[in-house]
Amino acid sequence: MEEDSQLLARFKKGDEHAFELLVRKYKTPVFNTVYSIIGNTQETDDIAQEVFLKVYTKAGSFKGESSFSTWLYRITVNACLDELRKRKYKTISYEAEIDQEEKLKLKDVLAGKEEDITEDLRKKELQDIIQKAMNSLPEKDRIILTLKEIEGLSYNEISQIMKISLAKVKVWLFRARQKLRGKLSFLYPEE
Amino acid sequence: MSCKKFKILLSTYLDEEITKDEEEELSKHLKTCSGCARELEYLKDIKRVFFLKEKKEPSEFFETRLFAYIKDRGKQSLWERYLRAFKKPILLVLIFFLLTVGLLNYKKFFYQRPAELTSDLLIDTQLEENFEEELLAVYYEPPR
Repeated sequence: MEEDSQLLARFKKGDEHAFELLVRKYKTPVFNTVYSIIGNTQETDDIAQEVFLKVYTKAGSFKGESSFSTWLYRITVNACLDELRKRKYKTISYEAEIDQEEKLKLKDVLAGKEEDITEDLRKKELQDIIQKAMNSLPEKDRIILTLKEIEGLSYNEISQIMKISLAKVKVWLFRARQKLRGKLSFLYPEE
Repeated sequence: MSCKKFKILLSTYLDEEITKDEEEELSKHLKTCSGCARELEYLKDIKRVFFLKEKKEPSEFFETRLFAYIKDRGKQSLWERYLRAFKKPILLVLIFFLLTVGLLNYKKFFYQRPAELTSDLLIDTQLEENFEEELLAVYYEPPR
């Protein structure tokens, strides 16, 4: 498979097919990042489109100071932040969003075996609960958790995307996880 | 090292971003600190939560829509590109035009307008009528 830098170079020379290959490779990561930060499936497609449109129009100005994927994730995160600020999203009250029944379901799933969650319905319910917990976090925490836990990026990549030091990545990630744990505190009855 | 710092290390340990020295220190600490050992289990659970979170796929026609969208927006951005490319010359022409118009009207504004104003103010209609009558009296004798 061709390297991103090669595909980008081909696209800069006017090869539209190279751009299509980049879209094919990154559409799912971009989509998942947007969905995890925005928490709304209906808008995710539109924002992901805006991201690729930006890549299409700004590719000429990308000088390769970072890898293509880092640049793409930065565009994605910025697009999400723009959207959140534009629509003045506020953190959703978690308690208002998640009910006792849902809490028990997640608790059961986590306590049980993997096979228990293979049923589509339960899986969907679980996704909703996790996403609701994510939605209730401040945007900074949502972004860092998404980049690490959903996209599996390294600390170095996260620091470049979020333009923060490595030390900050470590601290922010730890705090974000603690906050999420707070939201899912019903999983830890002994506390 | 305090427990607070060890807790941050727990997070880096789970992400496999910990150095060897840090890992050694951490494992020593975990043997003696039950609080941090418990914290490690909680953090593992949080990671498991994300492991359970399935990846979503974009809609079926995402690419088709995207390329149509790019084609459509591309037309607009072509204009934007032209505008951006010719921004400086357009600005220069505009400044030159404004300066020329300004200079041409400069005289009218500063010289003609005061003249109109002074003549308006200085004209005394009564005096002018008397003057005309006097002129008539000098140059034309009234018929006898």
